[in-house]
Amino acid sequence: MGHGHDHPHDHTHAHPHDHSHGAEHALDQGDTAPIVDFSVPDAELSPGQLSRRQMFRRAGLLGAGLSAAGVLGAQGQAAAATTGTPTPHGREPRDGYLWLAGDHHIHTQYSSDGIYKVSDQVRHGNAYGLDWMVITDHGGATHAKIGVDKVNPDIVAARQDVRDALVFQGLEWNIPGAEHGTVFVAPGRGEVATLKEFENSFDGSVKGASSSTPQNEALAIAGLNFLADAVRRRRVEAALFLANHPSRKGLDSPHEIRGWRDAQPDIAVGMEGAPGHQAAGIPKPHGPGGGRGFYDSNPGADSFPAYPAESYKTFGGFDWMTATVGGLWDSLLAEGKSWWVTANSDSHSVYADTTDRGPGGDFNANGRYEDPVYRGTPNLTAGDFWPGFYSRTHVGARNFSYTAVMDAIREGRVWVDHGGLISGLVVRARQADRGQRGVSLGDTLHIRKGAKVELSIEITLANRPNWAQYVPALARVDVIQGDVTGPVTDRDVFTTPATKVVTSFEVGKNTGTVRFTYRLGAVDRPLYVRLRGTDGNRSAPGLLGAAIDPAGPRIDVFGDADPWKDLWFYSNPIWVVPRG
Amino acid sequence: MIIGLDGGSRTVAEAEHLLHRVVETLGLPDGTVGCTHFVRVADGTPHVACSLAVREAIDLAAFSALPAEVGAASGEDRTGPEEPARGAALAAAAHAAGSGGRLVVYPGRAELTGTLSVAEILARSAIDQVAVLAQAEEPAPDTLVTTGDHVRPQLRDGRVVLLTMPAADGRLMPAEVRDPTPCCADHG
Repeated sequence: MGHGHDHPHDHTHAHPHDHSHGAEHALDQGDTAPIVDFSVPDAELSPGQLSRRQMFRRAGLLGAGLSAAGVLGAQGQAAAATTGTPTPHGREPRDGYLWLAGDHHIHTQYSSDGIYKVSDQVRHGNAYGLDWMVITDHGGATHAKIGVDKVNPDIVAARQDVRDALVFQGLEWNIPGAEHGTVFVAPGRGEVATLKEFENSFDGSVKGASSSTPQNEALAIAGLNFLADAVRRRRVEAALFLANHPSRKGLDSPHEIRGWRDAQPDIAVGMEGAPGHQAAGIPKPHGPGGGRGFYDSNPGADSFPAYPAESYKTFGGFDWMTATVGGLWDSLLAEGKSWWVTANSDSHSVYADTTDRGPGGDFNANGRYEDPVYRGTPNLTAGDFWPGFYSRTHVGARNFSYTAVMDAIREGRVWVDHGGLISGLVVRARQADRGQRGVSLGDTLHIRKGAKVELSIEITLANRPNWAQYVPALARVDVIQGDVTGPVTDRDVFTTPATKVVTSFEVGKNTGTVRFTYRLGAVDRPLYVRLRGTDGNRSAPGLLGAAIDPAGPRIDVFGDADPWKDLWFYSNPIWVVPRG
Repeated sequence: MIIGLDGGSRTVAEAEHLLHRVVETLGLPDGTVGCTHFVRVADGTPHVACSLAVREAIDLAAFSALPAEVGAASGEDRTGPEEPARGAALAAAAHAAGSGGRLVVYPGRAELTGTLSVAEILARSAIDQVAVLAQAEEPAPDTLVTTGDHVRPQLRDGRVVLLTMPAADGRLMPAEVRDPTPCCADHG
């Protein structure tokens, strides 16, 4: 094969962050065909291999997440295939994944409520440790007409200027009939045209389609189908959608989330587990004194009526859908549906920054505000942090490239943290005592029925001060486990009965690496596990009771939520599916 | 009697405006309870309707002074355009069932300003219970509540319940925040 290190991705970036995971063992994963190995570029394949890879690509089998039917359906497909159908996740690199920190929710002067230049955001995000960022200015009439075009040269310039950051162009889509969401595509010739056509055709603000009606909900699905078609027709190499601040106003009903995910499971892949605006709860007079995440909204006409009042609040800085053990997110995972969580800045205007929006200019005519100016006084009512300063989405990429980051997100190889709570997380599910490497976050471990399974957890504790200049201390790690019970009949259900915290590990040290093993025992039914960890400062029984979650995140205090004193990390799940 | 009103308001603020206007126009007495309700009728646009509980019977003809787009309903009676009248009937039914309404006009509302203890709130107004989000136990009677001069309790199982949440200085505040950050707000 001879595919050494001369593939086209840029590996020479001078990278200041820790990417090494020396403890990962390079166990042979078997003879996986090079056609499914993305570290082998197309050019190195034989014509026959290339043809097979393209066939798999067209069939949506390569780089794809789970099928619409979820893990149970995926298993059925694999069993039905006799020709060695590749696993959807492909092969893990020999020395482990490259964990890249990023943020898919960042605004600039091309947003009607923005301030900063693209370069301001990218330079800060990169300085604070981010490897990838998505510029997501608000969809709307002006952006669709002007901003979506004009922001591109600024993004291209930022890519040139900050060589060790991957900068995607996206937009913050006003999802018809629902909340906001990040939509972004892989860079390339069709990038701007695809985003522009998408926004003009499917943005809820552009189309006057914000109310919660069946017609508008259908328009949202049509938008996702458009993106899938753009990928299929090679207008763009890849496209992703993630729902932003999903519980903020109660607009994302359970059936809409299921609808997006099921319509295009390789594009609609997840949601913000934690919203941005994490400084919004810093108390007055030195902070905005609002709701953490700017979660200060009330139910409205378009809100899903069955959501409880708690859903409009944050818990340890996280959105209710994610923070509630046995809640909405778990109800999707218990269906076997791939649906991942992220954490981002939603940076518009940074807490205590000394910048003002540029005076003069005409946003509607120019598609942007003038460049920001120095104002000389800190803005203590701003509620955001710079990208990378507080919220991070860590993705396990096969290499340092745009498509590898998108693959990692699509495949759920993602964990998130606040305030630099931990520096590294390697989680594997594997058959016990077999010397296997096992599968990583987002993946499915297929076993024989009754085989013993263990979850191996390796955490690199915070090995440097965070951006509040202290080294955070992880106090506890919780393992959350649930049964996979298959598709629900009520598409608006937002609880699942068989998910709970099954064990907790006290960390008991502040430096180095900690390893835990959770033994699931003999597994005779499909299930999933996910992790959560905390600094232990603020806990309370979960909303579904102490038997489900004895010490979960506590509801944030309105007007007094110092984000640095309440840190959590969350991992995405791993499924375990027995055969036969 | 309970009367439903529906002007197709898209926001809670618009619906409250309609409610206050009706109370003033009809000169309804102090004991009146007025609520907002979220209403979805068939494939129509979700919106906010209102209900009024008054001690003395009112002829629906009195509502002829309302804008033409407003429908009203009481029992089997309807007035105004058909669709809004149907929304009005839904609001009236929810109020009668004691579930789902959000109280805007109610006895004692004007007394609920500044910072009050839970006991004071219960003593001064029609509120039967103060509950705290994500907490099973009721707050102690001497717990202070920063009202923000914006107190909108809810009808739950026939009781008037004020939902609160933890606020600064160990106090509570209504879970309904008075001035939420608008969508795409200038957060500066």
